[in-house]
Amino acid sequence: MAEVASVHSKALDGTAIRQAISQLLVRYGIVLVLVVLVAGMTILSPLLRDGQQLFLTPRNLIQVTLQASINMILAVGMTFVITSGGIDLSIGSIVALCGVLSAMAMRDLDIGPWAGFALALLIGAACGFINGLLITQLRLPPFIVTLGTLGIFRGAALIISDGRSVYGFDRSFQEIFSARLPISADLELPVAVLIAAVIGTLAWVVLTKTRFGKYTVAIGGSEETTRLAGVPVQRYKLGIYTLCGLLAGVAGALLLARLRSGDPTFGTGFELNAIAATVMGGTSLSGGSGTILGTLVGSLIISVVQNAMNLFNVQSYWQQLIVGAVILFAVILDQWRRRQSR
Amino acid sequence: MTNPLLYIDHISKSFGAVRALQEITFGVNYAEIVALVGDNGAGKSTLVKIISGALTPDSGKLWLEGREMHFRRPADAIREGIETVYQHLALIEELDVADNIYLGREIVSGGLLGKLVGWLDRPRMRHLTKQAISQLHIKIPAPNRSVRRLSGGQRQAVAIGRAITWGHKLLILDEPTAALGVEETEQVLLTIEKLRDEQGLSMIVVSHNMQDVYRIADRVVVLRQGRHVATLNKCETTPQEIVAYITGAKSKVQLA
Repeated sequence: MAEVASVHSKALDGTAIRQAISQLLVRYGIVLVLVVLVAGMTILSPLLRDGQQLFLTPRNLIQVTLQASINMILAVGMTFVITSGGIDLSIGSIVALCGVLSAMAMRDLDIGPWAGFALALLIGAACGFINGLLITQLRLPPFIVTLGTLGIFRGAALIISDGRSVYGFDRSFQEIFSARLPISADLELPVAVLIAAVIGTLAWVVLTKTRFGKYTVAIGGSEETTRLAGVPVQRYKLGIYTLCGLLAGVAGALLLARLRSGDPTFGTGFELNAIAATVMGGTSLSGGSGTILGTLVGSLIISVVQNAMNLFNVQSYWQQLIVGAVILFAVILDQWRRRQSR
Repeated sequence: MTNPLLYIDHISKSFGAVRALQEITFGVNYAEIVALVGDNGAGKSTLVKIISGALTPDSGKLWLEGREMHFRRPADAIREGIETVYQHLALIEELDVADNIYLGREIVSGGLLGKLVGWLDRPRMRHLTKQAISQLHIKIPAPNRSVRRLSGGQRQAVAIGRAITWGHKLLILDEPTAALGVEETEQVLLTIEKLRDEQGLSMIVVSHNMQDVYRIADRVVVLRQGRHVATLNKCETTPQEIVAYITGAKSKVQLA
C-alpha cells in the first residue's frame, strides 16, 4: 500500500517536474539563447585568437554590460509602453534632445552636474508627457504620434544646437556619471551599469507588484474592458509614456557623460534596438504581457553579439546585418518554442 | 406609487445622423429581472452603456432610487452599485481570476508602501475572492488561475462573480448565456434566479435567446430601431408575441 502510494507520488513528481521545466523554458527560453551565445563565445574566442581568451574576462564582460546599459534603460521604458499595447518611436530623438539641452545648460547657464542630470530627466519626462497627451487627448495611434515626435524632437535638437556638437561643459559631469566604481583590485563597475541595474530592479517591482504595473498589463490586454471596470485608463497611459520619456532622459544623460559631448544626431535608431530587446525578451507586441527580466536579457544578447564582432574585427557594415539576423533568429526561436508548449 | 429602483426617463442618443435611441422610458423594480430584447442594431448595447456610465445620453434622465444620476464614466455607475457584465469585454485574459475580480478596486498594502506606490496586497485579494465565491452558487476556479485557461462557462462565472461581489443594487448582464453549452447555460440561469429570489438583486438581462428570456424575466422590454415598442409582463405574453414585436410583425405600443 505504501509502495503504491510512493510510486504514485513519484509519477506525479515526474510530470510535475517536466511541467515545471517546460514552463521555465516558456518563460525564460531567451535566457538559454544568451547562455548559448556566451558559451559559444567563450569557446570560439581562444580558437580564433591564438589561444587567448578575450571574451570571458571580467574586463570584457563589464564592457558588454556597459554597452548594453543604455539600451537596457530605454528598453525598460519600451517594455511598459509595449505591454500597454502601444509603441514609442521617439525615444532616440529624446536621447539627443536631452543631451543637447543639458549640455548647453551646463555650458551656458553654468548649472552644476547634478542639475544638468536632473534637467535631462525633466526634459525626457516632458517629451514623454507630450507623447502621452497627444495619444490620450487626440485619440491618435501611438505609432503615428511618436513617428511625428521622432521628427519633432530630433528637429528641435538640431535647431537648438545649430546642428553642431555641444562641448565645453563642466568636466565634473563626466567624472560623476561615467565614473567607474572600484569593486576589486582591477575591477571597476561603471555608474551606467549600476543605474541600469537599479532601474531594471525597480521596473520589475513596479510591473509585477503594483497597481500601475497591473493596469499597464490590463490596458494592453483590453483597454476597453479596463475602462469599463472603472480604471482611469487615459491617466495611466499618460503616466506610461511619461515614464518611457523619463527613462530616455536618463539614457540621454548617461550617453552625454560617456561621449563628453551633446550631439543632435546621437541616439538615431536607438528606438529600434530598444524594441528589439523588448520583443526578444518575450514582451508581446500586441500588448498584455511583458517581462522586464526578458528585456534585460534581450539587451544583453544584442550587446554580446556586437562585442563578439568587435573582438573578431568584423567590418561594421556586416555588424548591422548580423545583429538584425540574430534578432530575427531569437524571435523566431521564441515563437516556435511557445507554439510547442501550447 | 413608490419609486422604482431604476427609472430610465426619455433617454435619447444619436451617433452623427444615426438615432440610436429615441425617448426610451421604462423602470426596473426591486428584485425584478427585466429582459432587454431586440434585433441587432435595436439600441440595446447603447442603452446598456448609458446605464453603466460608458456613454452619456444626449437627452433624458436616469433615476436611481428617486435620485437623478449623472454618470460621466463607468466608475460613477459602479460607485452607485450598478455592475455590468459585458459579453466580450468582461475580463482581461492576461490577468488571473482574483486580479480580474478586483480590477479597478485593488486592495493595496497598508502603510506607506501601499499609499505611495500602490503595492498590491495579492494574498488578501485572493483570500477574499475565495471567500466571496464560496458564498455564491457558482463554481469558480482557483483565484490565481489565469483567465486564459478557463472555459466559456468558467469565464462567465468569474464575470458574474465579479459583478455580484460589487454590484449591490443593479446588475446588467449582456448576453450571459450566448457562448455557453447547455449545462453551463442552466447553471448561469439558476444563479441569476437565485440572486433575485434570495438576495433581492435587480437585473437587466440583454439576450437573444427567447427561451432564456421567457424563463427568467419578470418583464420584457422590446426595442426596435432605437424605439421602445413594448413592455410585456411575462405572465401575459408568449415567446411568439415577443418575437413578433422584435421583428416588427406586431407594433401596438403598450407602455407599462
